Amino acid sequence: MTKLYEPSLPKLMEAIAAEAGGMKGIDRRNFLKGGIAAVAGLSSVQMIPKANASTNLPPNLPEWQRHLGSGVVAKPYGEPSEFEDLQRRTVPWLTVDAASSISMTPLQDLEGIITPSGVVFERYHGGIPNVNPDQHRLIIHGLVERPLVLTMDDLKRFPSVSEIRFIECPANGGMEWRGAQMEALQFTHGMLACCEWTGVKLSTLLEEVGVRPEGKWILAEGADAAGMSRSIPLEKALDDTIIAWGQNGEALRPEQGYPLRMLNPGWEGNTSVKWLRRLEIGDQPWHHREETSKYTDLMPDGRSRRFTWVMETNSVITSPCPENPLKEPGFLEIRGLAWSGRGKIKAVDISFDGGVNWERTELKGLVLSKALTQFSFKTKWNGQPWLLQSRAIDETGYVQPTLRQLRDERGGWSIYHKNSIHTWNVTETGDVFNVQIS
Amino acid sequence: MFKSLKFPVVAAVLALSGLATAGPLGIGSTATAEMIAGWDIDVRPDGMGLPDGEGSVAEGEGLYEAKCASCHGLFGEGEGRWPVLAGGEGTLDTLHPEKTVGSYWPYASTLWDYIYRAMPYPVPQSLSHEEVYSIAAYVLYLNDIVGDDFVSNKDTFAEVKMPNEENFFIDNRPDVNNERCFKNCADPSKFEIVTTINGVTPTGHFKEDSGVAANHYDGNPSAVSESGISTEKNITKVALSEGATLGRGVYDMACQACHNSGIAGAPKVGDVAGWVDRIGQGMDTLNDHAINGYQGADGVMPAKGGNMALSDDDVVNAVAFMVESSR
Ligand code: HEC
Ligand code: HEC
Repeated sequence: MTKLYEPSLPKLMEAIAAEAGGMKGIDRRNFLKGGIAAVAGLSSVQMIPKANASTNLPPNLPEWQRHLGSGVVAKPYGEPSEFEDLQRRTVPWLTVDAASSISMTPLQDLEGIITPSGVVFERYHGGIPNVNPDQHRLIIHGLVERPLVLTMDDLKRFPSVSEIRFIECPANGGMEWRGAQMEALQFTHGMLACCEWTGVKLSTLLEEVGVRPEGKWILAEGADAAGMSRSIPLEKALDDTIIAWGQNGEALRPEQGYPLRMLNPGWEGNTSVKWLRRLEIGDQPWHHREETSKYTDLMPDGRSRRFTWVMETNSVITSPCPENPLKEPGFLEIRGLAWSGRGKIKAVDISFDGGVNWERTELKGLVLSKALTQFSFKTKWNGQPWLLQSRAIDETGYVQPTLRQLRDERGGWSIYHKNSIHTWNVTETGDVFNVQIS
Repeated sequence: MFKSLKFPVVAAVLALSGLATAGPLGIGSTATAEMIAGWDIDVRPDGMGLPDGEGSVAEGEGLYEAKCASCHGLFGEGEGRWPVLAGGEGTLDTLHPEKTVGSYWPYASTLWDYIYRAMPYPVPQSLSHEEVYSIAAYVLYLNDIVGDDFVSNKDTFAEVKMPNEENFFIDNRPDVNNERCFKNCADPSKFEIVTTINGVTPTGHFKEDSGVAANHYDGNPSAVSESGISTEKNITKVALSEGATLGRGVYDMACQACHNSGIAGAPKVGDVAGWVDRIGQGMDTLNDHAINGYQGADGVMPAKGGNMALSDDDVVNAVAFMVESSR
């Protein structure tokens, strides 16, 4: 049974409408265009004058049914339909150079929990190295009994594991600390992906080299131009760190560390060092640039948190969102994703009035530890404005915080780890805007 | 909190069975001291990893100006949008914190380690130990952390104290505690709704009225002139051919890191004198050198600037942009 969520607070909604007034002209025009296209049954892609699309509609026989299609291995490595527009995107003004930059996953266009390898967000500090796997080596040394050098073939002889885990840049959402900025889900939450990763558990490799009792930390180092390096405590390495060569059923993509990367499930993406060439076991952390100058969190008193590894519980509504506005009234399944670096998602709640009242949603599909988890809420939309929010709770009982709570505690300059409840303003026209309630 | 390790036990068992050199599964080969020495470049706050060698602030000044200043500025102030390395003292608890080596970094060892492993940005691990000792000393000097008489070696470097060292603390999250409330959880009369700033998001892919593209990196249109071209000619004002116009984006993405600053012997774009003879070789030679790479008298031009994802056409367009901007 679906319930109609009327604006429970008419005054509030009027106020929002008034405040958003400046934007309305443009967006109404957009909506009208969208509306006309919808009536004609054309998506913008089909409008490209390839064939007269309407002749393909019932009762006519579609053009593609009247002749043979292309045969096997027309594309030995397949790719999405030409009608799809699945793309990583970046915000060019964010960084000065593409080799030290970020692109985002198109969360608004994805189905289920697995991110296709080709659109996993990118973050490089020195570009993508073109590593020849035959000439790639992993050296493990330091406080160990047996320093080892391993080829890719050696690594694949070890007992392997495959796990579905999310990976998220700790700066995901970081552009929004001091105000709503990004008018698209891809840019507010897209430094996030979830893949099946295959490799050997780091604990297995550590048994092979024999860690000395003084060994408490591991330096992981990449073979890229940045020589990316991070200190990982032995406790994590023995728990669930994977040294991975596989991603979604094939070798890692170059962008994701081909041929070998570290994967620290639930931890900030930067610790999952790509193009991994070296592991050094030591008795203390290294305090390298990526764990001092970067990836530390500045607090309002001028002090900074370090080693903020865990990605705390987060969630976002992926439909509707700015890229997926509501096109027509009636039945609506609101969909979204939730994730937690501390384990499984236990529940996700949804609010239509900016967090005044909340309803429970259903989790659907696989509910895995440290993986994206889908949630769903069935309702009706009849043109009423909403302030839509989602709030995730993980198996430790942690409840995703409000933006105000985070700001009160951390101020506005900590860049990383902004996991607060996100708000989409759905207007009467069905357009969706990123807003913040403070 | 650390789980107890059972490795010593394993080692003991192996020792008994006479296989002490192999691990439990016997996979892999011994990493020799020589292999490790070549790759073990890391440096720690206690000085572990700092190599032999010595440098000075005075030597660092010249090296820094030649190899770093084109991006980071003569005084560490950052050219254009390249990172700032100096200044910012006393700003961390203000509304405009400026995090630099001097104002923010807790350890000087990190500076040595990072310069050696990752800088100069376009040609990492190209500096000798002595050069890093000198340049790192000079960056500390720019930040008023050492005097101009500082002698930089493995003993003195490990002794340098950074002003912000004590201001880091271990992660103490969860730091907020939200309640799972369902009814009347917030007071809507106190809501302040903040909307987005219009026009900063690239929305061309889903909004018809927006011209901004987000599916390729086109750099910062003003970065070229901002970041270190001391030139002769304002390249943004040159009328470009169609190929060169297309090539500009490629250049911003894959070539500017070397060719804006002239790092590592790369001819600077816009430096007319530096390009005359090169252009004289003809476009075919230039394109060939750019696509396939070559070792010239001034340095190494990597094939496609090191970015093998570029098509030959991309590179040809980028060369057109560079040549047309340097005539
Ligand atoms: C072509 C431009 C360029 C040149 C030349 C260059 N750098 Fe950099 N530098 C960068 C970029 C880009 C980054 C940031 C890299 C990243 O995003 O990880 C950086 C980062 C740094 C940082 C860290 C800044 C911080 O706050 O974390 C230091 C220190 C540094 N460079 C020192 C040097 C030194 C010393 C040299 C000369 C030997 C040098 N750089 C030459 C572009 C350059
Ligand atoms: C890592 C630094 C680096 C990058 C990145 C780089 N170059 Fe170069 N380039 C050089 C150097 C060094 C030279 C000069 C070599 C010499 O003549 O000694 C050079 C020279 C050239 C020349 C002149 C060739 C000649 O015969 O005189 C062209 C053209 C050129 N580069 C194009 C490109 C293009 C196009 C890109 C980007 C796709 C690019 N470069 C990226 C370092 C670089």
